Amino acid sequence: MPPLLRIKNLVKTFEDNKVLNGIDIDVEKGETLGLFGNSGSGKTTVGRCIVGLEKPDSGSIFFKGNDLRAMNRREKKKVRPQIQMIFQHPEVSLNPRMKAFDSLVEPLKIHGWDDGYSLENKVEELINLVGLRREHLARYPAHLSGGEIQRIVLARILSINPEFIVADEPTSMLDVSVQAQVLRIMEKIQQEKGVSYLLISHDIDVLRKVCHRIAFLKNGRISGVENA
Amino acid sequence: MSYLNVSSVCVDFLTENGSVKAVNDISFEMNKGETFGIIGESGSGKSVITQAILRLLPSNAVVSGKIFFESEDLLSIDNKKMRQIRGREISLIPQNPAGSLNPLLKNKLQVAEVFEVMGVNKKEGIKSVLGMLKNLLMKEPAHILENYPHELSGGMKQRLLAAMCLSYKPSLLVADEPTKGLDSFSKKGTLDLFRHMKREHGNSMLVITHDLDFALEICDRVAVMYAGQIVEIGAVTNVLKNPSHPYTKALLNALPRNGLIPLNGHTPSRINLPEGCLFYTRCNLRSDKCGSERPVTKSNKGVIVRCHLY
Repeated sequence: MPPLLRIKNLVKTFEDNKVLNGIDIDVEKGETLGLFGNSGSGKTTVGRCIVGLEKPDSGSIFFKGNDLRAMNRREKKKVRPQIQMIFQHPEVSLNPRMKAFDSLVEPLKIHGWDDGYSLENKVEELINLVGLRREHLARYPAHLSGGEIQRIVLARILSINPEFIVADEPTSMLDVSVQAQVLRIMEKIQQEKGVSYLLISHDIDVLRKVCHRIAFLKNGRISGVENA
Repeated sequence: MSYLNVSSVCVDFLTENGSVKAVNDISFEMNKGETFGIIGESGSGKSVITQAILRLLPSNAVVSGKIFFESEDLLSIDNKKMRQIRGREISLIPQNPAGSLNPLLKNKLQVAEVFEVMGVNKKEGIKSVLGMLKNLLMKEPAHILENYPHELSGGMKQRLLAAMCLSYKPSLLVADEPTKGLDSFSKKGTLDLFRHMKREHGNSMLVITHDLDFALEICDRVAVMYAGQIVEIGAVTNVLKNPSHPYTKALLNALPRNGLIPLNGHTPSRINLPEGCLFYTRCNLRSDKCGSERPVTKSNKGVIVRCHLY
């Protein structure tokens, strides 16, 4: 059985700067793999290549054994909802002109939902999952805290039942108490839904606490992988 | 008289939904040469306090109480006098260094602009910033001034802003979340920078942060804020090594090395504040009294704490 996600020999260059120089990573189903590195080490680039926001120079990204880079448009469209990303900066993660409710409804309307709920009930189930209340739905992002926005983003992602989530420094802009809240919610969701995470962070204490394994990114290569 | 004296300050924001009590009866004093930290989660009112001190709050803010800086009552002096204090006597290193520099201008022009506004010779000003950048452990300062902001790392931008603030030799430096979003390497750089400013320049510093380790390293005393109130205040080692208030304990327990224990629940509405303790619904040591009676500050083992347990 192949791993849920396998990255083979990934290379990415920006102008003359080779940021990723042959990256190999495996993430199993239900696993949280931490990706550690300092600022500018290329952690985010790995995440962006996985979700298709960057085009690698060479290498392969296999999802459930199928090479994402070899897929045609139609095949990619089918796979993409299963691979989602949480970004570092909560303040720019949601459309500032949409209330939280509308942000949550948008992916449901695009991808549909088939579990017999009404739209309102489905949205309520999602916000309960991330520990928010109904009153948060009527707010614009400007009236939500960073931790609340990251949880709305998580709920929005979960609405389309992804199997793999790239979480790029999801708590680096949050306070310690809110950080603990968001990470514990992510853990709970993993236990309930079996999702896998690539958790990108420069905080080794956080990675050691919540990951199963940690990969260390240095000079464009994985310098080592250890059990957390 | 103390150097900075914040006495019974309240800040309310008038909104369509009602009056939001962002800061609720805050008092603290700072001594000259001291580094004083204000810690607490987002929305606790930390940054509002600094904006009240610098009189940078928006027009819908209603401020009451007294803020004395040396002998000046900052809330009652006229705008002209305040402009002389802001930037010259009290300088701010803002929260987001990237957002504080104009991306379209070379760093040199931005530095010059500050001195132009201050009515100081630009060349002299740039010379003084160059000296300060060197002093702040930055390599090739002249090269940095010829760059654009995007060519500098987060830590370098922060040093540039610090140099701009320090070149005017302010008496009080206010730093808002100086380590937010920085990796461990850059955090260490920021820590070195602040230690250097403290040691070499003898600045008095008011540091707003939610980074408990940074506060422990750099501050002499700290105040812990929750929902617009100070819940604990004292020497940094007393507060962060041997916390008294249940909220301070919860903050420390949320650190990954202490178990990553989340603080469940939500902060209370700031429009309709509850009758009792503002931390009541989230506190695991609460009693009936906490739900009905707002605690006052009391002295306990060298710190001041706002809790019915003491």
